[in-house]
Amino acid sequence: MLDMLHDKPHEDAEAQSERETVRAVRRMALTLFLTVLMLLVLNSERLVTWVNGFEVGPVQDRVVGLSAGWNAWMEEAGFTQPTEAARENVNNARQVNWDEVRRWIEQEQARSRDGARALRGMVGEG
Amino acid sequence: MLFPTIEFGIFFLIVFTVSWAVRGLPEARKLFLVGASYFFYGWWDWRFLGLLFLSTLISYLAGLALARAEREGLRKFIVGVAVVSGLTILGFFKYYDFFLSSLASLLEVAGLTRDLPFMQVILPVGISFFTFQGISYVVDVYRGHATAERSLVNVMLYISFFPQLVAGPIVRAADFLPQLHRPARLSRAHIGVGTVLILTGLAKKMVIANYLATELVDPVFFDPSAAGALDLLIGIYGYAVQIYCDFSGYSDIAIGVAALLGYRFLENFNQPYRAASLQDFWRRWHISLSTWLRDYLYVPLGGNRHGEARTYRNLFLTMFLGGIWHGAAWTFVFWGAFHGAMLGIERYARRKIEEFAPAHTDPGGALSALGNSARHIVGIFWTFHLVCFAWIFFRADSFQTAASYIAGFARFGEPSQYVTPFAVGLILLAMVFQFTPQHLGRWIARGVQYLPSPLLALLLGGGIWLIWAVAPEGVAPFIYFQF
Repeated sequence: MLDMLHDKPHEDAEAQSERETVRAVRRMALTLFLTVLMLLVLNSERLVTWVNGFEVGPVQDRVVGLSAGWNAWMEEAGFTQPTEAARENVNNARQVNWDEVRRWIEQEQARSRDGARALRGMVGEG
Repeated sequence: MLFPTIEFGIFFLIVFTVSWAVRGLPEARKLFLVGASYFFYGWWDWRFLGLLFLSTLISYLAGLALARAEREGLRKFIVGVAVVSGLTILGFFKYYDFFLSSLASLLEVAGLTRDLPFMQVILPVGISFFTFQGISYVVDVYRGHATAERSLVNVMLYISFFPQLVAGPIVRAADFLPQLHRPARLSRAHIGVGTVLILTGLAKKMVIANYLATELVDPVFFDPSAAGALDLLIGIYGYAVQIYCDFSGYSDIAIGVAALLGYRFLENFNQPYRAASLQDFWRRWHISLSTWLRDYLYVPLGGNRHGEARTYRNLFLTMFLGGIWHGAAWTFVFWGAFHGAMLGIERYARRKIEEFAPAHTDPGGALSALGNSARHIVGIFWTFHLVCFAWIFFRADSFQTAASYIAGFARFGEPSQYVTPFAVGLILLAMVFQFTPQHLGRWIARGVQYLPSPLLALLLGGGIWLIWAVAPEGVAPFIYFQF
């Protein structure tokens, strides 16, 4: 009888682990489904690039047509704008040169000096 | 099939769905995962599927033979045959042409030009990794660290499991095979760890490594004689970060994908550039290879058990062979030999310092703590630069390129062509993460594991979307695929 004290929690642990697996798989499956949806909406342009790499054939042509239509629809709805904005920001960052960095640092230094002056009540003394 | 592609995304969705759908039938699940792994490998080059199977079969049969053999001599013979077979396959595909071209150069120097049977052997992707895993299995069975598998499917899955098949981490039989005997489980922790690792791996590879490669490292290494000292210096820092982000990024994705399928791999990188000594660096860099070399090469050679001279020899040999493992080129041989020699020098210097100023005579107190911190910082700086110096030979396509690179450090004052704020920013960003708390990833994963599905999808989908949006066009292959 005393072995129940040992075996029962073990069985419970197994059952609990099994229940957790079922929940986790469902949760991850839903997550992956939503992730795919999100990427289809926001990244429709990449889908077009990908399907354009397919070999020529009736099925492939149909897929290319469908994805181009989907991308055009997403563009119209404005869903591709965040990708374009993100890409533009990165491209701007790539173009930044050291002179711009130096100017930005000088501006920041001037701004902090002005701030310090204002704190000391020296604004009118200039 | 590269990880950061739509093809792999579709492949993973199918594997995830089917493998968890059939989890009630463990043998069917394993068989399915083997099929998926062979499909994944065949996507690269189906002609080498037979080679992968042959390599697996040798290990499997050796394991079975070891389980039956009782005489020590026979057991040693079986291990020897299996290891030599694996290394012969690896040697032929990886080193045959290298050996012949080196022989041809040597004969030419001696004035003995000969027509040698060059074969233009194609290197099967991942051969170094699956050969080492096969050897690991046989040796672990021989040592009693793993039991011989009766199931061929289990050995096939261990050697060919797709997340680690082409570029590691090198998984140990003793770590992985027991997982195949338990029911597959997925927990909140698997989801949290998997999601965080996949996202960080993608960001490291797609954004940091790819931008540094295209905007800084490749142009600088293309013609080092045309670059100034600053370009060359930041170029090699850039390569140090690029190779770390490329390879650790791959490992992160591999470990994350395996976690979402219910399996656990061991850590492969642990902030290597915060190492304060070369020994420490090798405990943090490509951990699965360095521990493999330690357990299956350094220790059998005698390790540090037979006096100082033998220890230095063993250290050197281990790193030398580690260098050759990376690639069939003299630059890799030099890279390994350099690390081996420097590890020996470091060990010698540490012993001498210990003799002159033993640690237990340390007076303690604030001054001492300050001294220790300063020594630690100097150690990090020195180690990082030693590693960077060795990376020049690792990255250069020839000794001439490496020599030209090193000679270029004398060209002070030349205007920089490639060092942009963007490239420096990427290097600094990656280096900052070398010094964050070691458990940062764990803390984030703990938070992520409790997110409800919509928020988790927002994180995963938003993360992948952002990485794809800001990453350069196209997908460059991972550096370690060539090994």
